[in-house]
Amino acid sequence: MENFVQAIEGSAVNEWIMGSYWAWPAMEVMHFIGLSLLLGALLVIDLRLAGFFRKINIAAIHKLLPWAFAGFGINLTTGILFVIGDPFRYTANIGFWWKIGLLGVAGLNALWFWWKINPVMQSWEPHADTPALAKVIAWVSLGSWFGVLILGRLIPYIGTG
Amino acid sequence: MFEWLEDSAIAVWVGESLYGYPFMLALHAVGLSIVVGIFAMRDLRLLGFFSGISYESIDDLRKVGWAGFGVNAVSGFSLFTSQATIFVESTPFLSKISMIFLAAICAAIIQNRMRDEAAAWDESGTAAVGSVRVIAAISLMLWLGAIISGRLVAYL
Repeated sequence: MENFVQAIEGSAVNEWIMGSYWAWPAMEVMHFIGLSLLLGALLVIDLRLAGFFRKINIAAIHKLLPWAFAGFGINLTTGILFVIGDPFRYTANIGFWWKIGLLGVAGLNALWFWWKINPVMQSWEPHADTPALAKVIAWVSLGSWFGVLILGRLIPYIGTG
Repeated sequence: MFEWLEDSAIAVWVGESLYGYPFMLALHAVGLSIVVGIFAMRDLRLLGFFSGISYESIDDLRKVGWAGFGVNAVSGFSLFTSQATIFVESTPFLSKISMIFLAAICAAIIQNRMRDEAAAWDESGTAAVGSVRVIAAISLMLWLGAIISGRLVAYL
């Protein structure tokens, strides 16, 4: 980890982020926009997958997925830039590693959704209840992503290892 | 008045206890993702995206959006009390509050219009009428502006 931090400290991107007055707040603004898109799309999808709001056509809910991907892409990019910008602060922070761990859970759960639910979801009854597996995946998704959000916001306040 | 607010019990808990401030900040991030996320999805639907989802059904989520709004009114007010005299003179903070106020008015107008008209748009398969689309676009811009100015409170 020390080598990793040393390799990043002093790199061109690191120096650009640290040297620019506006880079950090601009990245934070993008990170908040990304999280709103990601969680907004996921709330609609997961609440319906969990069996609520059955007026929403579940066979068409996949149309929201690109917005979730877009939000995730924005946040993956800005998130990597945060770490490159201030590698020691993040790698020394236990809250950051919990967040990464929970991101792993959220990612595996998303793969589970992608393999087991997404291919069949479009042929489901549009306004019917959902299978138990869909409900489990929806709740794990909401729990893990909101956990990621909360841990991310608490990074400045959680012990720095 | 703002000095009195800073001395209130809630302000002291948020400002001086170990957990008060981070707890309220985390809650504020959760509320933000719900209110902006849900209302942005409704605005995007009105602007013509994800057309297989009916207008009526996406409007059903308004209660979830308002719940997020409520969470942030409470968490935001308690964060405000801890540094009321500073926030009340911060330009980005005042612009954030103004934009949220206007975005809430947009949300109220949109849901009133949808209550009366959404079923007809769904039935005829047509797009939402132009005036509602304009308000949806303004609403998206206001939420974007509120996020930008909210972040800048910490910098300017």
